[in-house]
Amino acid sequence: MSAIFRTTDVVLIAAMVAAAAFTYKTKYEAENQLAELNRIERQIRLEHDSIDVLKADWSLLTQPARIQRLVENYKEQLALQPVESTQVGSISELPQRQLSIEDLLGRDGGMRSAAAATDGTTTGGIGR
Amino acid sequence: MRMWPLPFRRVRSAAAPADPAIVVEGARKSTGGRARTRMLMTMAVFFGMYGLIAVRLVYFGLLDPAADGGPAIHIQASRPDIVDRNGEVLATDIKTASLFAEPRRIVDVDEALEKLSSVLPDLDYEQTYHKLKSEAGFVWLRRQLTPRQEADIMALGIPGIGFRTEKRRFYPSGETASHIVGLVNIDNQGIAGMEKYIDSQGLADLQQTGLAVARDLRPVRLSIDLRVQHIVHDEIAAGMERYRAIATGAVVLNVKTGEVLAMASVPDFDPNNPYNAHEKDRLNRMSAGLYEMGSTFKSFTTAMALDSGKVTLGSRFDASVPIRIGNQTIHDFHGKGRVLTVPEVFIYSSNIGSAREAETVGVEAHREFLHRMGLLDRMKTELPEVARPTEPKVWKQVHSITIAFGHGVSTTPLQTAVGSAALMNGGYLIEPTFLPRTQEEAMQTATRVVKEKTGLDMRYLYALNAEKGSGRGARVPGYRVGGKTGTAEKVVNGRYSKTLNFNAFVAAFPMDDPQYIVLTIADEPKPEKPGMGATAASNAGVMAANIIRRSAALLGVQPEFGHENAALLVSTH
Repeated sequence: MSAIFRTTDVVLIAAMVAAAAFTYKTKYEAENQLAELNRIERQIRLEHDSIDVLKADWSLLTQPARIQRLVENYKEQLALQPVESTQVGSISELPQRQLSIEDLLGRDGGMRSAAAATDGTTTGGIGR
Repeated sequence: MRMWPLPFRRVRSAAAPADPAIVVEGARKSTGGRARTRMLMTMAVFFGMYGLIAVRLVYFGLLDPAADGGPAIHIQASRPDIVDRNGEVLATDIKTASLFAEPRRIVDVDEALEKLSSVLPDLDYEQTYHKLKSEAGFVWLRRQLTPRQEADIMALGIPGIGFRTEKRRFYPSGETASHIVGLVNIDNQGIAGMEKYIDSQGLADLQQTGLAVARDLRPVRLSIDLRVQHIVHDEIAAGMERYRAIATGAVVLNVKTGEVLAMASVPDFDPNNPYNAHEKDRLNRMSAGLYEMGSTFKSFTTAMALDSGKVTLGSRFDASVPIRIGNQTIHDFHGKGRVLTVPEVFIYSSNIGSAREAETVGVEAHREFLHRMGLLDRMKTELPEVARPTEPKVWKQVHSITIAFGHGVSTTPLQTAVGSAALMNGGYLIEPTFLPRTQEEAMQTATRVVKEKTGLDMRYLYALNAEKGSGRGARVPGYRVGGKTGTAEKVVNGRYSKTLNFNAFVAAFPMDDPQYIVLTIADEPKPEKPGMGATAASNAGVMAANIIRRSAALLGVQPEFGHENAALLVSTH
């Protein structure tokens, strides 16, 4: 009687306890995952809302009316003037650039002038 | 059920009060079967109650934790963003947070108030104190906070206060494009402008079925260019002040696609605070205002005469004597007192010459032509605010004569611009649109209204008028502007006023292949300085020139300086 109790029952009890522990662990992990998911979803919503507000902010800051006001305020300091129609042209209208002696002599001079031509600053509107 | 043993027991005990044990014994014996059922019943009741509690517990366990207190507020329907042709935002939904408190949950009112004032310094201390001291379950403290204020208050960690998010329509460009973009009401439904148009295109149905989810709504792109729109708004606002006009307005129209690039009318309103949007003075005069357009109508009279085939650029009309019809006399404003050719009638803006042109064509043909140009029918476009033009019920000779120089019929400035576009683009009438459209799409719905030759002749006349006639003031170096002025006397108490004018200027550029029409109006302008004129050339023309000077490069028109004598070149065909 007791021998049977010790073998099969112990095994069964152990299996039961293990199953219970496993179920508990799985459930606990699932709850954790769910909480994490909720947290991330909340975060995404918050980020979306922030993006909307920042976009509205950006378009407010880049309003032509605001920029015009700034230009009028700072035109003396920055020596700004409206573009005249005589200053607008296309590349094809430019005369051929005259080669200078540095261009013919070596790459060094040409490299330096190319580097000076672009200052690496990028400008642009909202990326969508 | 439980009441019945009591009277029974009382009867028993009254019979044998001396020995309660025997009584009990006897009672048990006599009610042995009943006690058993009573026991079972009690057990059943208790099991039932515990069962109910267990079921309720499971039910509550499955239920999501309920949200915090406060009334459920009406969730506003989402709307798509409205953007200009380059993707710049014109209208968007933003979420704002509103602060509420649950006074019963607040531990220390003074501390809470002190902390709140550190973020909201303008909070009314006394009023808020009374609100927080009250026994109410829920009070609003401040509506529509910025996200930063929300985060700061959240960081204070005050118990008993919380936030509700609300949607609000926001227009970053303010009044700049207010008449085109329109307005929404408190329920986020479009009530004016393109907002109303979007609702009529199925958004209202989507919102009702709850399918309008913010993330799924694609932005609505308009044909408007915000930069050009700003220039137009800036110039007409400055013009209204400079000429002390009661109203000014302008439209920039793509001749080949019918797209409206910019349209504005002042006085206007701020869509973010539209308290005065419904005042009659602030309507969109470009599409909802009716005016006698004056001499700009001579473009159509001349085009009609040329298109009829009875008149060529070489034809001559006698403008030496005023026309008398009934008790009216028609004079010329810049009278030359001689026989004029068709181009001279146009550049000297001769009323007599125009009347003679209309006479040649005939009354019925004149009426038919203006209808064909879409000037006398209600315009079809996306914008809901469109007025229906007025014309005489029965056209007589006198009507035809006055309408020849733009008096006697009222139409909207936008329609006049669309009609002029048809004269400039080779003779196709294209319905104006506020949505992007390609030239191919435009040509599918376009109708030919005048012959190609008439279109070329009209280009020549516009260019010539800017070269030698009343449009000289609107010339912009490099952009080959052509145009026609119109100074119309306003009707005051049923009579034409000698002092109050309605001025308009139609400009097209570049004249060698017109791309854009700019039409400006000024209602009751005064001379800029004493001694200066108040005719269309000195106000509407100047505004048109400024708009073209500032916006031509943005509209993609290349300046050229070899074509200043284009009018003479075109005249050879």
